[in-house]
Amino acid sequence: MKIVIIGNGPAAISAAETLRARDRGCEIVMLSRERVPFYSPCPLAEYVEGSVSRERLFLRDADFYARNAIDIRYGSPVRRIEPSARRVWSGDEAVAYDRLLIASGSRAFVPPIPGLAGARGVFELKTLDDAEGILRRLAVARRAVVVGSGFIGLEATQALVRHGLEVTLLEAREHVLPAMLDSEMAALVERRLVEHGVRVRTGCAVERVLEGADGVRAVIADGDEIPCELLVCAAGVRADLSILEGSGIASERGILVDARMRTNVEHIFAAGDIIERPDAPEKNRVAPNWPNAVSSGRIAACNMLGIDRRHPGLEAVNVVRVFDMPIASFGVQTGETCLRWQDGAGAVRKVLLESGRVAGGQLIGEINGAGVLHEMMKKGTAVERFGTHLVHPGFGYIHTMEPLRAVKWA
Amino acid sequence: MSKTIFTVAEKCVACKSCEIACAVEHSRSKTLAGAILETPPPQRRINVEGVGAYSYPSRCQHCSDAACVTACPTGAMQRDGCDAVFSDADKCIGCWMCVVVCPFGGVSADPVGKKALKCDRCPERTAKGEAPACVAACPTGTLLYLTPEEFAAERRQATARAAICGGQADEPNGMDILRSLKRTH
Repeated sequence: MKIVIIGNGPAAISAAETLRARDRGCEIVMLSRERVPFYSPCPLAEYVEGSVSRERLFLRDADFYARNAIDIRYGSPVRRIEPSARRVWSGDEAVAYDRLLIASGSRAFVPPIPGLAGARGVFELKTLDDAEGILRRLAVARRAVVVGSGFIGLEATQALVRHGLEVTLLEAREHVLPAMLDSEMAALVERRLVEHGVRVRTGCAVERVLEGADGVRAVIADGDEIPCELLVCAAGVRADLSILEGSGIASERGILVDARMRTNVEHIFAAGDIIERPDAPEKNRVAPNWPNAVSSGRIAACNMLGIDRRHPGLEAVNVVRVFDMPIASFGVQTGETCLRWQDGAGAVRKVLLESGRVAGGQLIGEINGAGVLHEMMKKGTAVERFGTHLVHPGFGYIHTMEPLRAVKWA
Repeated sequence: MSKTIFTVAEKCVACKSCEIACAVEHSRSKTLAGAILETPPPQRRINVEGVGAYSYPSRCQHCSDAACVTACPTGAMQRDGCDAVFSDADKCIGCWMCVVVCPFGGVSADPVGKKALKCDRCPERTAKGEAPACVAACPTGTLLYLTPEEFAAERRQATARAAICGGQADEPNGMDILRSLKRTH
C-alpha cells in the first residue's frame, strides 16, 4: 500500500511513525513545502530569543527518514488533489496514492493592510524561515511593532524585548489575548507587558505600513505613525485550504473530519491544524495546537491501515507565558457562575460554571491543576459539591474520588 | 509486568514523609541536611492533598497513553526503559503544555527552575533494586512498590480478611477515630 502524506509537521510525523510501527511494508511518501527536516514550531520564539538552540528544534535525528523508509520530498508543495485518479500534483509531478493524509497545517493570517504583505522587514512567526528572517533583521532593527496579541504575538514580543528592542504591541480587539482571556484577566497581562517596557495599544487598527529604502520604516495605526524597522504579523493562523480546490473535500474553517479523521472523500484523511471537528465543548472548532496535531495524526494513521480508532476529542486548552508569568485558558470566557481565587502576589484563577459543570477557566500566575479542571470540563463532571475548592490551586484529582471513600468510612 | 507505585489511600495519615523524601532524592546532595541548604531548594514531585478528613499522596500515574508525552512540543517528556514517563530538563522549555493537559495534576510548573516537575519513579534507586524514595519513606504502607499482580493479590487478601473477620479490611487505627470525628469539608 502506498501512503502519501502532505506535510512534515507534528501531525504528519506522528502519523508516519504510527504507520511504520504498525506496518513494516507500506510505502510512505511525505511531501513537504519546506526544505528542512521536521522541527517543532512551538519553541520558535525561544529560538529567536536565544534560549533554545537551532539543533534543539529538530526533534528527530538526521537518520530518521531513512531508518523508517520514508520517502521525504522537500520543497514539494502540493498544488492539487485529484481523488478520481487517486493522485496529487506537486509542481508538474503527479504522485499516486492508495491512502492520502492531508496534514499541511495552518498558515499565518495576513490581514489586508496596505503595504503589509511583501514588505521587507515584515515577518510572521510560524516557520523556521520566519524565525531566521527575524534574527537577520535584528541586526538593523531597534524598534519593532507586533501586530496581534495572540500567543504567537506575545511570545514574539517577549523575544524581541529580550533582544533589547523597543516593542509596540498592537491589538485590534479591546484587550490582549482576546481568544484566551476576559478583560479583567487581560488587564493583568497588559500590566505585566508594560512593566517590561512594552508599549501596548489595544483597540488599535493598523491602517498602513510604510516602507523605505531599507524595508519597513513605520506603521500608521489610529492616525499615529509608529516608527519601526521590524514588524511581526501575528494576527492569528488559518487552516491552509488552498490545495483543496476542485477536490470535492468538504471544509469550512478547516477540513471536516469524523472521529476517525476521515474526510468526506474515500481514502483521504486529514490531521493536525488543518482539521475542524464537531467536538464538544464547542461545536465545529479548529483547535490548532501540538497535542491535537500529534493525537489526530496517530488516529488517522491507524484508520488508514484499517485499524479502527476513534479520537477521544480535541484538547481545547492553551497556555502561554508572558515574561515568565504562566497563563492557561480553556473553554468559554464568560459563564453563569464565576469562581475566583487570588493570592495577592499576582496570581488569579477563575473557573466558569454553566449548569453546575465546568465550562471554562482562566488561570494566571498559578496554573498547577489546570489539567484536572480541563478534564472535568471534557467529561462534564458535576462540580457543585466542590464549592469554591474547585478554583483553589490545591484542588486535585483526588477530590473527585472523595464520596466513594466517605461512604466507606461513614 | 514490571513494578510500579500503588497507593492505598485509606492508610495515608498526611505525614508528608513522601514529599520530603522526594525532594531530597531530587536534590543535588541527596541528603536531607544538604537539600535544605541548596539554592534553589529541591522540589518535590509528590503532593499530599487533603480532602476533608482524608489525604492522598498525588503524583504522576505514568499513563500508558500519556497526555503529557503527546503534548510535549520539544521531546522533553518521554518514556524510559522501565515505562516510566519522565521529563528531560535539558530539553524542557517550560511551556507548561504538559501541566494543562494532565488529567491527574501529576505535572507541576516549577516557577523557579522554569521546568516541568513530575515523578520519574526514581530511576537511580530502582536501578539498584531499591524502591522509589517516596515508597521507602512511607511509614504507613500507603505507597507500595509492587507488580500489578502482587498488588492485586494483596488487595484480595485484605478483602478476604475483612469478609471473614468482619469489620474493616485493616485494623482500625488512630486515624479512623480522627476521621470519624472530623466531618468532610
